Amino acid sequence: MYGGSGVQGKRDMAMEYEAQIPVLRPSIHSRRANMMVKFQDLYEFTVEGNVDDVNVLNEVREKVRHQGKVWWALEADKGANWYLESFVPSTLLKSSLKFSTLVNAITLKKLIRKGIPPNLRPKVWFSLSGAAKKKSTVPDSYYNDLISAVEHKVTPATKQIDHDLPRTFPGHPWLDTPEGHASLRRVLVGYSFRDSDVGYCQGLNYVAALLLVVMKTEEEAFWMLAVLLENVLVSDCYTTNLSGCHVEQRVFKDLLTKKCPRIAAHLGALEFDVSLVCTEWFLCLFSKSLPSETTLRVWDVLFYEGAKVLFSVALAIFKMNEEELLVTHHVGDVINVIQRSTHYLFDPDELLTVAFEKIGFMITTNISKQRKKQEPAVMAALDQRIRRLNSLNDDEKS
Amino acid sequence: MASSANKNINAKLVLLGDVGAGKSSLVLRFVKGQFVEFQESTIGAAFFSQTVAVNDATVKFEIWDTAGQERYHSLAPMYYRGAAAAIIVYDITNQASFDRAKKWVQELQAQGNPNMVMALAGNKADMLDGRAVAPEDAQTYAQENGLFFLETSAKTAANVNEIFYEIAKRLPRLQQTPNPSGMVLVDRPTERANSASCCS
Repeated sequence: MYGGSGVQGKRDMAMEYEAQIPVLRPSIHSRRANMMVKFQDLYEFTVEGNVDDVNVLNEVREKVRHQGKVWWALEADKGANWYLESFVPSTLLKSSLKFSTLVNAITLKKLIRKGIPPNLRPKVWFSLSGAAKKKSTVPDSYYNDLISAVEHKVTPATKQIDHDLPRTFPGHPWLDTPEGHASLRRVLVGYSFRDSDVGYCQGLNYVAALLLVVMKTEEEAFWMLAVLLENVLVSDCYTTNLSGCHVEQRVFKDLLTKKCPRIAAHLGALEFDVSLVCTEWFLCLFSKSLPSETTLRVWDVLFYEGAKVLFSVALAIFKMNEEELLVTHHVGDVINVIQRSTHYLFDPDELLTVAFEKIGFMITTNISKQRKKQEPAVMAALDQRIRRLNSLNDDEKS
Repeated sequence: MASSANKNINAKLVLLGDVGAGKSSLVLRFVKGQFVEFQESTIGAAFFSQTVAVNDATVKFEIWDTAGQERYHSLAPMYYRGAAAAIIVYDITNQASFDRAKKWVQELQAQGNPNMVMALAGNKADMLDGRAVAPEDAQTYAQENGLFFLETSAKTAANVNEIFYEIAKRLPRLQQTPNPSGMVLVDRPTERANSASCCS
């Protein structure tokens, strides 16, 4: 169904995980409290957890199967591509829409927040994110032409990419193979030439790798990366001095003060800068911090509702741990609370319920205003640092 | 400081250095006693803690292992702000990484805490065949700039514990303790904490 490119093989297995991977039943021996076991999650990442974690993951598999049935039933009822017609571009006047379209749009938003089943993810992401549209504006051979044109070129970006390939989710049964490395390399190198301002930024290796695992075809993963960087996220997140990322961090700090004042005040008193933990979340889009299905549930909403979702989810992680955070005394304790929480967050609904029901509305236009407000301060701070460093170099020369 | 009761000190320590110099490997060796050929690339920074006992005091290091790629340097101030110590790491087989290390030293001298204990680590000391930076050069540079210098190997573990221990000894609040003898690593992280930096 989604075949076509030459990067199939082993990954077909993942598509049929429902049938092939038996429900994991921890053995008698591992039932002892806090016994840690290693197991594979829905996307074949090896994770470690205790018996409770294994059980949670089994429940998640069950929920995913259920969501699959819901989606298939809707397809049968409304037609195979019903969600494409339900997509309401923000530029369109809502009053000019047919009632049925609006109903579908509301259904779709709710449905996506409950999760897109893994086997439908490639198709739904590709259309709803705008990747399909982006691809349709260039000749069909764009990706293959790009890849063959840059194959033997060596740039600082390609060197860094080569350095990072074996360091990207080492141990994953497909990503960490010569075939997986080659595929990831083509996507990252290809993109580094498509946008030379971004080139290659560490962090994109994890994002592109997870896109490959989900999309299953390399070319579609490439277009997802393109739409993500060019349309979904704020610009300059990954360019020279990560200025976009600095802006997001400042916006996030203000949101935390507003939405979780007790936590913000306590962390402030500890002189804990939340960027210490959040930077990685925003650059890797949680792929390095949360279990794979939980990350991908965030991405489901990210591709449909936009980058504000990252704020909701980041706030939710703090909110979920409020009581524990309020009794921390050291920076290290804060980090440990947060890392333990994210690392074992196997139930996506636990996180997303807080993100969408307990945090309160996040309005895109307000966020955009906040970003505009922070930009000059970020630019000034970055400039100041560069000037200071340059003056140090001048001193040395003189 | 006459009291012989245990002193517990928290010390923020930051690792800085060129990409691929082996910052994360040094930390992994120190914190978990392990070495892996392909260490996950660090984004932003990774956090670890490890406790070192020096005589009657224990120093709990809160370690920030930062990302090496050039564009991440704009984030560095967040990690070195308020740090009691820094290890600046270069790769002895790569001259450019030594030049980069010097720039970090300059930046820390200008911006960091004036009492910061700074160590220069020439890592990958096991790869003698590829050596590009002479230890004498690094030693001279370190002396001139008030750093202490060790060549380390995260792979063989050579000088890894030593460099952290040496830092612990030099922390201002420990200065008055008499000649330290030997080092004990305590507070090994639990199984659960051990896996906290795994990929998702």
